[in-house]
Amino acid sequence: MKRLISLLVMTLLLSLSACTTTTVDEYRENSTALTLKNGERVVVLGRRHYADYETEPDFIDCIGDKLEADKKISVLPEKEFSDLLYPWFEPRTAPLGLKRLAKMLDEPLIAQRFKEQGLHYMIWIDGSTETTDKDGSVSCAVVPGGGGCFGFATWEKTGTYEAIIWDLQKLEESGRVKVEAQGSSYMVAIILPIPIVAQVQDQACSGIGQQLRTFFKGHRASDAS
Amino acid sequence: MYVMFAIRVPTKLTRNPRGVIALSLTVASLLLSSCATRVEVEGSFPAALTHKLPLRSVVVFDEAFANHRFENTQGQEVSIDVGEIQVELFTGLATSLFQHSVTATSMPTLPKADLILKPTVEDVQISMPNESQLKVFEVWIKYNLQVFDATGEPVADWIMTAYGKTPTRFLKSNTAALQQASMVAMRDAGAHFITRFARVPEIQQWLHHRSTSTASTTDSTLP
Repeated sequence: MKRLISLLVMTLLLSLSACTTTTVDEYRENSTALTLKNGERVVVLGRRHYADYETEPDFIDCIGDKLEADKKISVLPEKEFSDLLYPWFEPRTAPLGLKRLAKMLDEPLIAQRFKEQGLHYMIWIDGSTETTDKDGSVSCAVVPGGGGCFGFATWEKTGTYEAIIWDLQKLEESGRVKVEAQGSSYMVAIILPIPIVAQVQDQACSGIGQQLRTFFKGHRASDAS
Repeated sequence: MYVMFAIRVPTKLTRNPRGVIALSLTVASLLLSSCATRVEVEGSFPAALTHKLPLRSVVVFDEAFANHRFENTQGQEVSIDVGEIQVELFTGLATSLFQHSVTATSMPTLPKADLILKPTVEDVQISMPNESQLKVFEVWIKYNLQVFDATGEPVADWIMTAYGKTPTRFLKSNTAALQQASMVAMRDAGAHFITRFARVPEIQQWLHHRSTSTASTTDSTLP
């Protein structure tokens, strides 16, 4: 009987996963799908010039993976790009607007490097995931015979990100995607602490990654028909 | 949300004086090791994408610069060893920016060079999330880049600041975060150096003077 109860409790706890709500908004310059010719690539970069936050590098990698998921879009990794273009895409020097990028591309050395890498689109990601609220407490004690924790804690995270697509050949903006993901996580501690964590950043990445893919030819409902 | 921990010590141990000493030492060393953060900044830098200036340079790294260590004893004990990595950074930057560059450990006399660069660290500051209430680790480095001509005459004292930050992450240690923020600060110093060197007024003037005097020398040698 005891085994059955513990099994039921474990199953119940494992089946509990914290919920995340994701809202995605998009804006397109026009209805034409973005095209990538053979050998052309996309680079996804994070904005890092704000004082109080910076877009997480692992979030940028996650979006790159989502875009590359079906091998139709080739993505140049952020680190590789910033090393190849050093020091022109560091937080201090990265262009914040298309006018500044156009001026940068007037420099033959930089333009040549872009050409060598087959870069057609640059996607800037700006935002971060923050803990917006937290409550409760968990206490743990260790004694020679053992130890344990007791309590309940909850915290809420919000991830807000915006992606802006720049066409590097036309030097114009192709579209924007904005995503907001919210989720509450819990930790219940009765001897053992059991965290039930909301994957806010992962959900935001999935939302923005999937939406960005729809901008490219071959990923839109109209392309399939 | 609060997470609290408590340790209960067996009374058998506290009754024995040797046990008390051993326990005190263990607790003290545990506390010290948990508070002190020691970072030896390691990494590498890419070659800078820039046009080379038609100059030969000597970059002087004195002992204080090559072994520079930032020590913070107020509040949380933090030590960041930046000496070796900044020598690597400035060696690479000079190679990228100048047509020919060598390094030295002391000021050369009559070098076969057009200019001598001597970087020194003026100040290093750090900020941890528990101090700033921001979710980022920050590192500031203030360099004084002294520039001399071939005769050893000073050309410029260029105060160059570098800043780097990295976001906090679950289960990321202070050491790893400060290492990353220091590397970002170093890359920032490099970006500042490459993009601004020829625009520093005194250096710009020196370069202009040099190009006009070279041109006039060339003109005077024409038949």
